Amino acid sequence: MPALFLYLCANPNRSNCIAVYTDERVLKYTIRRLLLMIPTLFFVALITFGLAKAAPGSPFDRNPDKPPKQETIDRLNKYYGLDKPVHEQFLQWLGNVAHLDFGISIVRQRQVSEILAQGFPVTAQLGVQALVLALAIALPLGVISALRQNTIVDYGSLFFATIGTTIPSFVVAIFFIYFFAVWLRLLPIVGWGTPQHMIMPTIILSLGAAAFLTRITRASMLEAVRQDYVRTARSKGLREQVVIVGHVLKNALIPVATVVGPAAAGLITGSFIIETLFSVPGIGREYIRSIVALDYPIIMATTLLYAFFIVVANLSVDLVYGMLDPRIKVGK
Amino acid sequence: MLGRLARLRVPTAHLEEERMTKRRTTWSVFGLLVIVALVASACTAAPGGPTASGAAGQADPNGEITLNTGSEPDTIDPQKSSFVNEIAQAALVFEGLMTFDPKTTKPVPAAAAAMPTVSSDGLTLKYTIKDGLKYSDGAPLTAKNFEYAFLRGCDPTAAGDYAFVLYVVVGCEAWNTMDPKKSTPADLSAAKAKVGVKATDDKTLQFTLKEPAAYFVPITALWIGWPVRESDVQKGGDKWTEPATYIGNGPFKLTEWKHNEKFVFERNDNYRKKIQIKKINKVMINESAVAFAAYRNNELDMAGVEAPDLRTVEGDAELKAQLVDLGGSCTFYYGYNVRRPPFNDPNVRMAFSKSVDRQAFINDVQKIGKAADGGFIPPGFPGYDNTDNVQKFDVAAAKALLDKASPEAKAGLTGLKYTFASSNTNKTRAEWAQGQWKTNLGVTVELDPVQSTAYSALFKKGQDSPQLFLLGWCADFPDQQNWHSTVWATGGISAARTGYSSKAFDDKTKAGDKEGDPAKRDALYNDAGKQLSQDAPAGWVWYSAGKLLRKPWLKGITDNPIDYFPGIFALENVFVAKH
Repeated sequence: MPALFLYLCANPNRSNCIAVYTDERVLKYTIRRLLLMIPTLFFVALITFGLAKAAPGSPFDRNPDKPPKQETIDRLNKYYGLDKPVHEQFLQWLGNVAHLDFGISIVRQRQVSEILAQGFPVTAQLGVQALVLALAIALPLGVISALRQNTIVDYGSLFFATIGTTIPSFVVAIFFIYFFAVWLRLLPIVGWGTPQHMIMPTIILSLGAAAFLTRITRASMLEAVRQDYVRTARSKGLREQVVIVGHVLKNALIPVATVVGPAAAGLITGSFIIETLFSVPGIGREYIRSIVALDYPIIMATTLLYAFFIVVANLSVDLVYGMLDPRIKVGK
Repeated sequence: MLGRLARLRVPTAHLEEERMTKRRTTWSVFGLLVIVALVASACTAAPGGPTASGAAGQADPNGEITLNTGSEPDTIDPQKSSFVNEIAQAALVFEGLMTFDPKTTKPVPAAAAAMPTVSSDGLTLKYTIKDGLKYSDGAPLTAKNFEYAFLRGCDPTAAGDYAFVLYVVVGCEAWNTMDPKKSTPADLSAAKAKVGVKATDDKTLQFTLKEPAAYFVPITALWIGWPVRESDVQKGGDKWTEPATYIGNGPFKLTEWKHNEKFVFERNDNYRKKIQIKKINKVMINESAVAFAAYRNNELDMAGVEAPDLRTVEGDAELKAQLVDLGGSCTFYYGYNVRRPPFNDPNVRMAFSKSVDRQAFINDVQKIGKAADGGFIPPGFPGYDNTDNVQKFDVAAAKALLDKASPEAKAGLTGLKYTFASSNTNKTRAEWAQGQWKTNLGVTVELDPVQSTAYSALFKKGQDSPQLFLLGWCADFPDQQNWHSTVWATGGISAARTGYSSKAFDDKTKAGDKEGDPAKRDALYNDAGKQLSQDAPAGWVWYSAGKLLRKPWLKGITDNPIDYFPGIFALENVFVAKH
């Protein structure tokens, strides 16, 4: 198997490169998957476009009590190309997207790319923080409850996991707001920017994923700890720590990795409710607003961005499998 | 103005319930922590409590307030704004020729030195600008700036929803309705040159009207004529509403706009009056339950109260003392399609109007609002007439009227549908009305909820438009013309939807539009209003109202139903007391 280095470069002139050791098969596989992304995104766009257009109404009908004149609506429809047949609109949109032009928000009259560039970093930051927190809670808690099965620690983690998965985040959020802000006056509710502002949204967003990952980690640790290779490792006289980390945990992480991928994508893109409740200036609020207002360019760009992240997350998981367990042949 | 007020109503009732249950169960678990926390917060002297400082109660020269503005406005360009959340931002930064007296809601001079002088034929109005007015960057404000702003209001390429209020100016409608893509630049500038807005010198602005229009003076107080500067619009392009180029002559200047997060306004020291508040932050919270929590956490100095939170507020002595009642600027009504049975028969329309118990509706459903006890125009507005009570709730009279209806109209009652923009609140309202008609008239009405963005399209079908529907109208400016003539004169917005066309009504309201004498004018409009209620193309149900919480240290505000910012019409009086 010929090994090669893949250079990931920040600049075209090949400065600031990171060399990633890989082999040809993995590289080919990655490229193939990336190419497969194109039809996936195409169909996501097609379906979203179809659904958005099928929704009744018009983006210019903001207030049923005071509708604009028909001539005004006609003129605006023409201006935004909404008077053309739907398939033509789609092709035109597709052509623009190929040049990375996502158009202008119909309602805001600002560049879609500019709106996304302002909102997405905030949403992504919130998501990454929540993911890191979820992993920081879930992995140790899952491991410990598996090793101390049926003890108070295990029951405690079960309690946490049940609460975390069953109570919806908006309920937890309201509870947090009342408890930490209105009663304790410890944390602010509104806004974004300082660490205090980030505490509540990050914790609440991470709870569901943390609870779920804790259960997966525990179950899969229990499975792995009973395997023959663990007994072998122990009988070789390896220290318990090495057995647990190097043999049990490493194998137990494969099912965990499977769910971390989609969970990561979900956290990074799926904080609509939390963003709305805590007035976080992310992209989720804008997404909801765009759907209500039928702001087609924003609906399309945001959906596409979300789809892109989910595809990338899934691909990353498949690549991570190979690292965790060399027996899984990536690319076969 | 509460012009096109479109408040995003989010069903929060379930959140409220969750919160109440949570609170009870957590007491036992976290009781100790809470006690510790209460002690701690008392020690840190939360801004909520009064302090023993000797200066308490005096105006704080560095006073700062934080308000909630809901969601990010789509635009803050005065000539393009239509919703209250858009106008509310521009109102802090710009000031028009006129403004409104917060007590009487009559137009009074702002940037203008005095009321305009009107020519004897009523067609020419001359405004003189006050001496020494400046923009916040120090540049002088002249009549030319106003000329540019009003022309921009008519400009088809600026395409604002509110251009129609200027159509009474000569040439404005013709220019505004041109298609900028089809017309040549020469045609466009020729049309522009014909518009009757002219700065005759640096101090004088002259309007030429198509017809005498006593209602034009309040229009010159509206956002459509706020003096946006040509150089800023050109320099900023699509982004001219960002702080660098959003320069105005109003009490505040916009210093920061973090999209989807907040606005920051700071006092404009070049404003013609001394403003006592130093800084206004406007955050963007969509959820009323969250805004309410933020208010209680002292993160907001004011917060609107929605019906679900009202019980909590009224159960808490401290909050209850901070509750302020506000008048509204909207009237909600059942519209009847008069073109076909059953509502082609005035008896049926009046029967439907007289068979709903409005006060019960306010008590049981609406909670925040006022039962309609007059005609179309709500209290607090010129033209409100509580002697106009022909539609008063009266079951016996309603039944008698229905009996008198023609056989054709009676046949039309079968399968009658009530159409409304689908939402939880509207559904509750509709079910309530359905019950009233069933109980009081014995008529079964089917409910027909429709997606709100598709609602207005339904009314373009003439005779086949919905038969019975719920609509609201919110004032654009405080004048009867904006109610009677704009909405109900033949071809007006709701006249077109219901098919109502009455020569008697048209004659009265149009005469009111032209009448120069204020007393005669009011009488003409009151007559028109009574005619309208009698013809009953609609049944008036309730007038909007608001409730808000205001911290006790925010003082000097005179509330007015058309405030787009509390106390906006006399902002110099508003201050933050030291606390």
